[in-house]
Amino acid sequence: MVRLGRIEVGVFNVDGEFYALPNICPHQFGPLCAGTVNGTTACSAATDWRFAWVREGEIVTCPWHGIEFDITTGKSLSSPRLRVRTYPVAVADGQVTVTI
Amino acid sequence: MTATETIPTERIALTLADMAVVDADVHVNDTPGALAPYCDLPWRLSLQALDGASYPYLQVPGFAPNLRLDPPIPGSHPYRSVDTAAEMRAELSELEIDVGILFPDHMLTFAALPNIDYATALAQAYNRWLMEEWLLKQPGLYGVMLASPQNPEAAAREIERYAKVEKIVGIYLPTAGVNPLWGHRLYDPIMAAADASGLPVCLHSVTLVSPAFPCQLDQFENHFGRQVLSHSFAMMANLTSLIHSGVPARFPNLRVVFTEAGIAWVPYMMWRMDKYFNEYRRMVPFLEKRPSEYIKERMWFATQPIEEPDNPKDLVATIDLLGGPERVLFASDWPHHDFDHPRTIMKLPMPAAAKRQIMGENALALFGISAPVGKL
Ligand code: FES
Repeated sequence: MVRLGRIEVGVFNVDGEFYALPNICPHQFGPLCAGTVNGTTACSAATDWRFAWVREGEIVTCPWHGIEFDITTGKSLSSPRLRVRTYPVAVADGQVTVTI
Repeated sequence: MTATETIPTERIALTLADMAVVDADVHVNDTPGALAPYCDLPWRLSLQALDGASYPYLQVPGFAPNLRLDPPIPGSHPYRSVDTAAEMRAELSELEIDVGILFPDHMLTFAALPNIDYATALAQAYNRWLMEEWLLKQPGLYGVMLASPQNPEAAAREIERYAKVEKIVGIYLPTAGVNPLWGHRLYDPIMAAADASGLPVCLHSVTLVSPAFPCQLDQFENHFGRQVLSHSFAMMANLTSLIHSGVPARFPNLRVVFTEAGIAWVPYMMWRMDKYFNEYRRMVPFLEKRPSEYIKERMWFATQPIEEPDNPKDLVATIDLLGGPERVLFASDWPHHDFDHPRTIMKLPMPAAAKRQIMGENALALFGISAPVGKL
């Protein structure tokens, strides 16, 4: 988590790719980036209607009401109305740069 | 849009005669004596023995889950029933209704019946009787066939049997007292058969006294309290049941109709389920979209008993909230005590095109019925 002026940004490392999201949930303004990072469930014809665990490390769950966000896109998994922006991240010489 | 529809609606004298009028919920009086000849042995003998029994023992025949416990108060309106196809045709025509979708009277409490073999035979008898005595006897009468929750395999075979029968346009899922609720996987054979048949399933509840369902209705001291909650709680519980076990995701062609609970509960349930979908999506990952989206794409709601807010504009706004006029089917519930006349919809301050949809077009398309001669 980094603070840039008044803006808090969570920086996530997903399999070596870096992503940055604002630490404010679009639902009720909870501290989104302080939530658990892990995977999520899937269940469809593709899984023969059995529960599967997918996308480990790509999902952050807001600690307030548990809404799941895709770290790589900033979109929630449950509603097209709930999404956060993603900030560009560059990595060079071991230095991670977030542009806001 | 045609030229006439650009004229302000107030100045169009739109009448029922100008449009196809389909009534998504009317009731036939399915007495034990009437059903007996259509029922397999030995249950035919049971129905014969019940012929002439007093009312409580007719619902469903031989079983009385809705025993009225109220002391009678003289002056209430009488119990009405429609006993023949000719009567039904005449009465619907009197109400300016072209097409009626027929539901039962006594079989409304069917799901509470504990005897599985009797229930299976009774459902088959009802479906045969409905076909022979009503649907084939008069024009403009269509039926929903009864699917027995007590025997999902037999119900699935019954659905296959009727799937291509022209006058059967849907599948009636008895909803009062159904336990477990309709979203349970126990019923997957019924949902799969419905999905394959292309027929919509129609949930219909009724007031029923049960400690289990829909919510301690036995604790209400009078019928006012039971009536207010019975249908709407039944529909809310079963809608939630269908969504929470992923029925619309697992059966992607299935269409669902909710009858006799009014419509104003629907926006509330959409918002409530969408809210908890945000929070608990991991528990229901088979849902590919928000619950409200499944509702707006593949569910329909019959109007009766239509809510009557002081300002009718509130009702029009409610229709928009639940997805617009295309989600709504006119229903009268004729001949029951709380029936709605078609004018309850006709007088609403909404565009003529929306009234046409609600009064008939939606139901014709959903049930696959061709437009009545001279209409549309
Ligand atoms: S504030 Fe983030 S889930 Fe409610």
